[in-house]
Amino acid sequence: MEKLASLIIIIGTFLWLFSIFVFEGRWQWQMFSALVLTVGIFTAHFWEELRDTDSPEESGEE
Amino acid sequence: MARERVSQADEWQAWAQRYDIEGGIRTFESGLTVKVFVGALFVGLLMMPGSIYLSYVSGQSGAEAAPWVAVILFTELARRSFTTARRQELYMLLGLTGAAVGSGMQYRNFIWYAYFINTPQAASYEIADKIPEWIVPAGDSVGVLTRSLLHPDWFLPIAIYLAGKLLGTLRFVSGQYILFRLTADLERLPYPMAPIAAQGATALAETTGKEETWRWRVFSIGSMAGLIWGFLYIGVPSLTGVMMSQPIEILKIPWIDFTQSIEGFAPTGVFALRTDFGQMLIGFVMPFPIIMSEFITAIASQFILNPQILYRYEILHQWNPGLDVRGVTLFNNLDFWFSYGMGKSFSLAVVGMAASIPMLFKLRKAQKSAGERGSFATPPNRGDFPIWLMGLMWLVGMAGFVWLIHWMVPNFPLSFLLGYAFLYTPINSYITARTFGVLGRDLFEIPYLHEITFILSRYEEIDIWFAPLPDEDYGRGTQGWRVLELTGTTFTSNLAGTLLIMPILLVSGIVVLHFIWKIAPIPSAQYPFAQMMWPINATNEALWKTSLRDGNSEMLQAIRGDYVSAGFTSSLALYGMLWVFKLPSMWFYGIVGGIGSDPGSMVARLLGAIIGRFYMIKRFGMRRWYMFNPVLAAGFACGVGLIGMGTVAIALVSKAVIVKPF
Repeated sequence: MEKLASLIIIIGTFLWLFSIFVFEGRWQWQMFSALVLTVGIFTAHFWEELRDTDSPEESGEE
Repeated sequence: MARERVSQADEWQAWAQRYDIEGGIRTFESGLTVKVFVGALFVGLLMMPGSIYLSYVSGQSGAEAAPWVAVILFTELARRSFTTARRQELYMLLGLTGAAVGSGMQYRNFIWYAYFINTPQAASYEIADKIPEWIVPAGDSVGVLTRSLLHPDWFLPIAIYLAGKLLGTLRFVSGQYILFRLTADLERLPYPMAPIAAQGATALAETTGKEETWRWRVFSIGSMAGLIWGFLYIGVPSLTGVMMSQPIEILKIPWIDFTQSIEGFAPTGVFALRTDFGQMLIGFVMPFPIIMSEFITAIASQFILNPQILYRYEILHQWNPGLDVRGVTLFNNLDFWFSYGMGKSFSLAVVGMAASIPMLFKLRKAQKSAGERGSFATPPNRGDFPIWLMGLMWLVGMAGFVWLIHWMVPNFPLSFLLGYAFLYTPINSYITARTFGVLGRDLFEIPYLHEITFILSRYEEIDIWFAPLPDEDYGRGTQGWRVLELTGTTFTSNLAGTLLIMPILLVSGIVVLHFIWKIAPIPSAQYPFAQMMWPINATNEALWKTSLRDGNSEMLQAIRGDYVSAGFTSSLALYGMLWVFKLPSMWFYGIVGGIGSDPGSMVARLLGAIIGRFYMIKRFGMRRWYMFNPVLAAGFACGVGLIGMGTVAIALVSKAVIVKPF
C-alpha cells in the first residue's frame, strides 16, 4: 500500500509538470493531476493510520 | 540508507513533547477567589488602554503581558504575606486578566468601519452608502464625525454586538465542552500542546514556595529584555509623539522598505525589513525546520521566482519601477499571488482532510479493541456539567444566532444559514478538535467558504458581507479545557469567573475605546501602524466586498483558474513528494507559508531560530532550553507590555491636560 501511494503521487506530480510544460498550465489538466495527487495522499494517510503498528498516541497514555 | 517513515501525528507530537515537562495525576480545586477576581479586574483594566493604544501604534497589542503582570503582583503579595498562591488561582488569574485586557479590542471593528465608511476606497467602489447601519452609523452621522462611541448613533451596532456576544457565549462554552468530553474523555486524545500553556502558571506558583526556582530568573531576564526593547521601539515614538507633531522613531515602524533598492536586479521582488525584533521570541519557540524552509522559500520567491520567471513571462504585468512594498504587493497579488494563494489554501484543506479522516477510521478500529478508550466517565471533582444541559445551551444559542442573522439579512436564503449552523459547524468543529487533540493545531479549513456560499446563493446585496455567518469552530477551544484539567482547576470555577467578569468588561471596554478614539483620529500620525496599514486594508476590503458584484469586479478578474490550479496542484505535489521521500511534513508548512511572502518580515524570527538552535541549545541543552522558552517569551511580553502601559498613561494624561493656545 505504501508503494502504491508513492507510485500514485509520483504519477500525479509528473502529470502536473506535463500539464505546465506541454499544455501551458491549462487548468483542466492541472486539476486532473490534482485529483491523482489527492488519491495518492489519501492512500498514503490511510496506510499510515491503519497499518498494524502501535503508535505513540495509542500507547503513551498516562 | 533507508530513512524511517514517521507519520505526521508522530512528527508533531515528538516536537510538542520537548515542551512537556509536567505529568502525573491531579486533584481539582476551585481557582476562583475574591482576591483573584479583584486582582484580574484591577490589572486587566489598568492595562487595557495600553493594549488598545499599542495595537494602533505598533500593530501588536502587548495584551499577553497583562496576565503575567497580574500573576507577578499576585505572587509577590503572597510572598510578602507569608502565604502561598495555588496553581489553580494563578491559572484563573491568567485567564481572567487576559479577558479583561482584551476587552477593549472586542469593539475594534467599530473604529475600523467608522474609518472605512469615509475612505475614498469605499466611495470609489460605491459601497460607502450601502454599509448596513447595524455595523456602523452613516459616514456623516454625529457619532462618527465627533469620534464618540457613546453617542446614541451607535446604539444599534452595539446592541447587535451584545446580543451576538450573549448567544456566542452559550454556543462556545457548550460546544467546546461537548467536544472536549468526546475527544479527551471518550477518545483519550493527548492534546500535546496543552502542557505548554499549563506551565506558565506552574512557573510562578513555585515562586511563592520556600525556594526560588530557575523560572523566576528566566522570567526576569525576559522582562528586562522586553523593557529595553519596548522603550526603544514603542516608548520613544509614543513619548515624542506627545510633544512633537512627528514622532521620533529610532527604528522605523513597522518596517524599513528596501523594495525600491532591489528593483534593479529583482523587479517585482519585495523586501521590507520588519523592525519588530520581538518576533525573535517566536523564532525561539517555533519549530526550526518551519522557520528555515519558510525563509528560504520567501527569498527564492522574491529574488528568483517573481523577477526571473513570473515577471519575465509577463504573468506579473502591472508592476512599475518606483513602487514601494505596498504597491508591489498589491499588484503582484492581483496579477498572480492572490489566485495562487487561493489554490494553496485549498490544498491545505485537502491535506488536513487526508490527515484527519483516516484518524476517524482508526478510532472506530481502536474502540473495538481498547475497552478503556470508550469510557465517558469523568474524573471526580472536576466540576463537570450535564451533557444534556450543554446540548440544550448550544441549541438555544445557535437557534438565536440564526434568527439574528436572518433579521439582519432577511433576503439571504435561510437554508444556507441552517446548513452552516447545524451541519457544517458540528462537523468542522469535531475535525478541528481531533486535530488539536493529536497534533495540537488546526489543519482543516475550507478556504473562501463565504465567497463560495454567496455565489451559490445568488444573493447580490452587499449587506451579507458585513453579517456574521454561523460557520463556527469550537475545536480550537477544547485545548483550553484540557489545560484546566492539567492545572487541576475545576470547570465550574472557570465558568463562574468568566460569566462574572463579562458584564464589567463589556461596559469598560467600550468606554476606554471611546476615550482612545478621542485622543486623535484613527488612523493618524499618532498611530503610525494604523496610518501605514489601514489604507491598504481599506483597498483590500473594498476589493473583496465588491468581488462578486456584476461578475466583473477587479477581485473576480484577479482570480484566474489556471493560477488557482497551479497553487492547488503544486502544493499537493510538494506534500506528496515530501511524503514519498520520507521528509518532514513541517517543510511543507514552511514552504507553503513562505512562497510569495516577503522575506523581510521573517528576518527577526529567523534570527531567533538560529540563535536558539546553534547557541542556546548548545549552551543550556535541548531540554532546558525548551523549558526556558515559554517562560522567557512570557517575561519579554511582560516587559514590552509594561512599557506600552507606561507610555499610553503619559500620552493619555498629556492629552487630558494640554490646552492648545489660540
